[in-house]
Amino acid sequence: MQSIFAWLLLLATAVAASDYHEQLTLRPLPLSSLLASFNFRSNTSFSDYASQNFRLFPRSLAQILQHSGTRELHLRFTLGRWDAENWGARPWDGTKEGGTGVEMWALVDAGNDEEADQKWLTLTNTLSGLFCASLNFIDETRTIRPVKSFQPEGHHSEAALARSRLLHGVLPHEVVCTENLTPFLKMLPCKGKAGIASLLDGHKLFDASFQSMAIDVRPICAEGKECVLEIEETIDMVLDINRSRRPKGNPIPRPVKAEELICDQSKPYHSENACFPVDHLASPDWHLEQVFGRPMKGTCPLADATVPPVCIQVPDKRHVFTSEGSVQHKGADGQSRCYTMDENNDFTLFLARPDNTGEGLEVVEPETPLLYAERSLTGYGQEKGGVQAILTNPGNEDVEFVYLESLPWFMRIYLHTLATHISPNTTTAVDFSTPSSDIIKEIYYRPALDRVRGTQLELLLNIPAKHTVFLTYDVEKTILRYTEYPPDANRGFDVAASVITTLSPRVMNLRTTSLLLYLPTPDFSMPYNVIIFTSTAIALAFGGLYNIIVRRFVGADEGEPSPLKVKLAQLKEMIAAKLGKKSEASEEKAAVEAQ
Amino acid sequence: MSRLLALSLRRDPRVQKLPPYLSFLCVLVGLVWLLLLPLDDYARKTYISENALLPGQVHTYFSGSESHVLRAYRSELEVLASEEDQTRVNDKIEEILKGLGVKVGRQSYTYNAAGRAHNGENVYGILQAPRGDATEAIVLVAAIRGLNGQVNRNGVALALTLARYFKRWSLWSKDIIIVFPPDSETGTQAWVDAYHDAHDPRNVAPLPLKSGALQGALALDYPGVDRFSALQIIYDGVNGQLPNLDLVNSVGNIASGQMGITGFIQGMRHHKGTYKHRLTTIFRGMVKQSLGNSWGPHSSFMPYHVDAVTLQPYGKGFHDEMAMGRVIEGSFRSLNNLLEHLHQSFFFYLLMQRDRFVSIGTYLPSAMLLAANFSIMAIYLWVQSGQVDADAKKNAKKQTKAPATEVAAVTVERSLVLPVAIVAICHALSAVPLYVLNNTTAPLLPTAFAALAAISTAAPFVLSYAVLPVYKPTQQQILLMKSLSLLVLGMALSTLATLNFSLAFVIGVLTAPMSFVGLSKNESLRWASATLLTLLAPATVIYSAVAGAGLDMGHLLEQASFGWTVWGMYTPIVVWTIWWPAWTISMVSVLC
Repeated sequence: MQSIFAWLLLLATAVAASDYHEQLTLRPLPLSSLLASFNFRSNTSFSDYASQNFRLFPRSLAQILQHSGTRELHLRFTLGRWDAENWGARPWDGTKEGGTGVEMWALVDAGNDEEADQKWLTLTNTLSGLFCASLNFIDETRTIRPVKSFQPEGHHSEAALARSRLLHGVLPHEVVCTENLTPFLKMLPCKGKAGIASLLDGHKLFDASFQSMAIDVRPICAEGKECVLEIEETIDMVLDINRSRRPKGNPIPRPVKAEELICDQSKPYHSENACFPVDHLASPDWHLEQVFGRPMKGTCPLADATVPPVCIQVPDKRHVFTSEGSVQHKGADGQSRCYTMDENNDFTLFLARPDNTGEGLEVVEPETPLLYAERSLTGYGQEKGGVQAILTNPGNEDVEFVYLESLPWFMRIYLHTLATHISPNTTTAVDFSTPSSDIIKEIYYRPALDRVRGTQLELLLNIPAKHTVFLTYDVEKTILRYTEYPPDANRGFDVAASVITTLSPRVMNLRTTSLLLYLPTPDFSMPYNVIIFTSTAIALAFGGLYNIIVRRFVGADEGEPSPLKVKLAQLKEMIAAKLGKKSEASEEKAAVEAQ
Repeated sequence: MSRLLALSLRRDPRVQKLPPYLSFLCVLVGLVWLLLLPLDDYARKTYISENALLPGQVHTYFSGSESHVLRAYRSELEVLASEEDQTRVNDKIEEILKGLGVKVGRQSYTYNAAGRAHNGENVYGILQAPRGDATEAIVLVAAIRGLNGQVNRNGVALALTLARYFKRWSLWSKDIIIVFPPDSETGTQAWVDAYHDAHDPRNVAPLPLKSGALQGALALDYPGVDRFSALQIIYDGVNGQLPNLDLVNSVGNIASGQMGITGFIQGMRHHKGTYKHRLTTIFRGMVKQSLGNSWGPHSSFMPYHVDAVTLQPYGKGFHDEMAMGRVIEGSFRSLNNLLEHLHQSFFFYLLMQRDRFVSIGTYLPSAMLLAANFSIMAIYLWVQSGQVDADAKKNAKKQTKAPATEVAAVTVERSLVLPVAIVAICHALSAVPLYVLNNTTAPLLPTAFAALAAISTAAPFVLSYAVLPVYKPTQQQILLMKSLSLLVLGMALSTLATLNFSLAFVIGVLTAPMSFVGLSKNESLRWASATLLTLLAPATVIYSAVAGAGLDMGHLLEQASFGWTVWGMYTPIVVWTIWWPAWTISMVSVLC
């Protein structure tokens, strides 16, 4: 399915004269999901690029690439996860997707490693400003130089390749948000105001079950023509139709009214008060404006008019209705339909509910992926743990692939504990598989250096058909320095997704989810405790010491009496005198009376 | 100057006689301390430490047509609930969950304890958070058989309805895992062990599906179909571990504050807030903590640092299942807000009312003082053992005419071989009852225990009658033996007090008389002490406790063996390795 669509584009490229192409492909997925792939491609010749003459290629990005000497750039912003079990193979064979967060790899023009690091630093910092993402945190502790996994995708001369270095950096905890979408749209020629880009709304895009924004810049040299620098921007999103259809003003999924529940009426207990719900079986109908939250405003006048902007891939039996003025072009296999529309009017598309539910012909069957991959942490406690990756080959051919892990330095892996177990695919929970030592063909391992660089592990593996491989290794956790913990230290640290590149039977990319590594945390109140304790101790010690040093000691009788004592003594005398006088007076009186 | 004072004090005979009184004072203060805790001056009102939780601030929408769905699911399960074969119930649950779009996994396990096999199959579903990244998860547990052995019909139906309800929301930051273990004792333990890959592969199958790190768990035990009046929050875990107080407080806050459902703990449904009720709550909590059992499906999560509680609706009132569903919705929304693991509030506390507690800094001194008393007596006995023998002292005095107030500065050399050997052997022998009680089949357990009890109670008497005529240990050896035994006891109890305060306290109270017996040579006093010690023997105490509580001895022993095998409960180890050897040595020292 993807290959047919790719061919369509390639064909369009070869024929068209314009340098900018955009296309939206909609593909309904099982369980009321919809995959929407937006693809924008523009190119500029190298002469224009060198002379700073930018038309369709965004100047902001081009100047950054020139300044940092980048030959090829691949940037990915991903949120959510791809459910391979229900949705099948990834769009574009996984080549336009990254691990959760931000992933970036680039081929920089550098003669040696230091120069490459310098250029990478420039590149990440300038891109972080352009995309409002914390790309500047991709420092040398998060950067690796993959050997087998990422190959240059563009056409470079031999001399250029010899003078290039490929660097790869990941930020797994970066939250992708609307602020990353806006610069993306601003780099398009129509700036998101016309054409398919006008459908992109932050509310719906970031409510999707899976979304990935990709930017690829690479040089393409076609036969007999000047080399061009091509920028390809892709947004893939998987929307849940039911969620997207909720109006913006009332997005809360309140329980429906009792009358509106779709029940299985054949149940013995079915009544007014008891309803066994079967609404999951019904695929709802939807139209474009509902799902994306805004209408599509015509077409982008700068786009190549021969490429139909909107395509939908549904079985022939489904009914698709589009707005006036649009022309349908059916694809060769009968499963895709593309539409060209009026430039100035809003375009909308409506997919009706299938006629007979449950017959299995509602959506195009998703292609089975070559490989399923899953990774999780094992063990418990704050000292040790392990990582387990489960790789399943569901198909009939052996799959050879490269498994890349870029791990932070504080996750110390013990490579000697790397073990593989293999078992045939069964439907029940696997019973413990046999260890196998001839699954890993090659290992490329670059150990970590504390606070300098992380671990880079690349494994070349081969899984026979219909088998599952369990890859495990042990990990030790470290206690970091007090200032190295983030503000939410008890959350843990994100470990980047592992990247799987299949080599045979065909090249494809796959990523697992990221991991959360819970490291032991110190008592963060200790600096406070130490400060008050030492302050108290010093205050007490200081007082006594100061007194001993500074105070003059004299004998008790030699010193002047304290003024307070003097006053007190005077007061006593006064009182004594008064009393004395009184007693004298009373004595006299008594004496007088006695007489 | 102060050094000289201390050195001279050391020789003062009055100071030499002080430690037993000091010890007694420690025991007394330790006991009274606990009784002072329920007073308002020492008990604090509970509060929410983690600001992210914001309990009760969320508008809950679980109502309306969801009740129709709940009734349908309940009817579906009613048909199958009484089945012996768990597979059909699990199949039905899997069918319902798969229809909702939730990924389902199943796990089977077998535990062999006390000769009986406990089999089961867990079925669980992972509701993947739509915009989440699979790094964290929260768990809802609804066992098919609840705490009282009844079918948890409303609990399972409510969990399924909530699964359907939660699936519609896109605000979850953590995956929601809904687990349906077949019972409340073994299922969750097998599941959590396999989730962390800490399971025994021979007994427990691995999990086919996993999500991220577990942040919190709620278990629901709701067998009744009538409306309920109050909600009991069960928070005790295996080996006396407790969940973070924030979790207990937020669930309590949400239930009583937002939903108007009274929350209570430790079975104290009508808690008036009086001193007596608070003390009863504390004692009930301490009993549960010292036994170290699993008190609900939530208990198995504690060793993995996952905070969990079990909610048990109770009584007849006017709150229905939807109110319970809203409590769970509110709690899950609070847990969803968490950025980090719960770490702000206390992990060690004693709750005396749903909203009053004491933290470890306030209650720990009582157990520590009880343990300190042993250490003080151990040091006292050690010093005494180094004193010159009484007869030798008199001879020396006659000879040297030294002043009577001065105690001899010279210490006698101590021969440690026999005391150390005896203490070590006694402690090592504890492996025997542990092995016997954990490896006998259930029908033979009461007999085995009776035999052990008889042997252990009679052994000191028999030994003293048999051995004494042959070899009489010197006074110094007896003193050293006692001193070492009390030293071990003191160290063990003070360490245990930090882990399981109640167990340390209970054992401290039951062994406290051991520090004071055997000090005098008075014959009648010796026999009185022997009787007292026999009454406080581990076997006697266990028998009388069982009789007093109206339980069956065989059942208790089977539970102990089951607890060790399934939950890793270490209470039997403490009883046989720390208490029993200390008792034995104490008896021996009294009788010799």
